[in-house]
Amino acid sequence: MPERAPNTERLDEHLLEIVHALHGAVRQGVSHTDDAKITDRVIEDCKKLLDVIMAGNE
Amino acid sequence: MYTEKIELKDLDKTDPEYRDLLGRVLAIQADCEIGGPHLYVEKMLPAAPTKLDQLIVARTAAEEIDHFRKVARVAGDMGVDVSFVLSQPNEKRFVDAFRGLITTWEDNAVFGFLIDRVGRYQLEEFSDCSYLPLQRILPDIVTEELGHIEYGYNKTCELLSKGDEQRERVQRAIDYWYVRALDMFGHSGSKRAERYIFWGLKRRANEQAREDYIREVNPILTSMGIRIPDPIKGRRFI
Repeated sequence: MPERAPNTERLDEHLLEIVHALHGAVRQGVSHTDDAKITDRVIEDCKKLLDVIMAGNE
Repeated sequence: MYTEKIELKDLDKTDPEYRDLLGRVLAIQADCEIGGPHLYVEKMLPAAPTKLDQLIVARTAAEEIDHFRKVARVAGDMGVDVSFVLSQPNEKRFVDAFRGLITTWEDNAVFGFLIDRVGRYQLEEFSDCSYLPLQRILPDIVTEELGHIEYGYNKTCELLSKGDEQRERVQRAIDYWYVRALDMFGHSGSKRAERYIFWGLKRRANEQAREDYIREVNPILTSMGIRIPDPIKGRRFI
């Protein structure tokens, strides 16, 4: 059995958390497209979550 | 030709060339998955034409991040750390198409329509491949890629219906991405591709997959009233 690369599980859990948060936010936004206040807030939340990924593994 | 099916627990018993090629293809796949969001999130999340489109940009990015996660997990479990691609500058991406930045909605639509379609081809190479942990993650990833391709196609059609000026902008985006899509398949007659096929990690030679892609995409372009770009001009890998 090969030795697992360090941080494999931690990275997996971290990314899964972000993916779930993004999907949750998008679902909320899609169900409120007639309410600009909510969608704007959701898009801002998505941006913050995506910024974490765009920043790389710093 | 290699006909074994390999589980993680048996990987140590395989030929070193098999493990090298598998690690390499997983790193490239991981880079392509995360390379997408790095191309379009910065400019397209704020600039998509409607709030629903903005949300779909976010959802598409979430799906690509999840694809990266799944590929990184398969790689990590076999001891290959691909997390470095998370911080890879765009200009250092393995595949040309992911270098740069998408700054227009036409490019974003055409990217989904043409480049995510190449992504589907790359993933289909692994269907029924010899490494079972890779094979298992494919169905959900391919289903989501099909959604990205359809969205890109629909948005491209929507833009084409908005008059001659817009049509010309779409044509320019097609001209740009079409040759990059063809280049994504790599060199014809590649020796490395032959080894991938030998080890059951891929199904088709680069030139065969490229031909299949052209046969699929050209009739769609024609049906949309788009001029098919010169398939050679601007190409890096023939």
